[in-house]
Amino acid sequence: MKDVILKEQIFNHSIDKVWRAISKEEEISTWFIKADFKAEKGYRYTFFSEGENCTQITGEVKEANPYTLIYTWVVQNTDTITTVKWSLEEVGGKTKLYLEHSGISGYGGDTAVNMFNSFDGGWDNCVAELTKFLNAEVHAG
Amino acid sequence: MQDRVTGILKAIADPTRRDIFHALILAATALPITHISNQFEISRQGVTKHIKTLEEVGLVEIESKGRERYCKANANPLKQINHWVSFYEKFWDDALGSLDSYLDAKS
Repeated sequence: MKDVILKEQIFNHSIDKVWRAISKEEEISTWFIKADFKAEKGYRYTFFSEGENCTQITGEVKEANPYTLIYTWVVQNTDTITTVKWSLEEVGGKTKLYLEHSGISGYGGDTAVNMFNSFDGGWDNCVAELTKFLNAEVHAG
Repeated sequence: MQDRVTGILKAIADPTRRDIFHALILAATALPITHISNQFEISRQGVTKHIKTLEEVGLVEIESKGRERYCKANANPLKQINHWVSFYEKFWDDALGSLDSYLDAKS
């Protein structure tokens, strides 16, 4: 099973601006997920997914030096530790982002069930978010 | 296909249905509905309704033998919601799309 997802994208913005967007709590909360986050090694962060009582993502910041940010990524009520790495590179005034999400093959067959066990409330909202991703996947596959 | 995934998610969203499904998985064999409903504090009608919901998404198979109906768990539909690689591929594509829009809007 494939274990690593790699994404590359070029942004027409300065490297410092992109770095702030991916490492500052208030910026992460704006474009990505509501976050309790500090780009400091050892900080235990929490990402709160949309909707109350929905599943959270937690993890520990492993490295946070411009322009590399690494943190572990653990879905609430599961044991699998995956790792997310963001690296930025300046390319002719633009910024190239390399995103790597590794350890995904560690998700066992029960993970989905465990994950859904954590959804005690706000289920419809959670389902809507999840199915949006899953549907896109089904159509692509 | 979309409805199917949503149906599976909704079927396992209910704690009692999860318990029934788990009981059937653990039994590893077909069980009569009466036998299952004895394990739960809700009415037999309630259990039957939950089992029907599980059957609709393929998580339970029901077979009639004489006057009794036997239920068996089938975990295969869960595979559909277990494509984590595809899930995260899409997740990160969406996230980077949002990041791009955010950066553009901010300048």
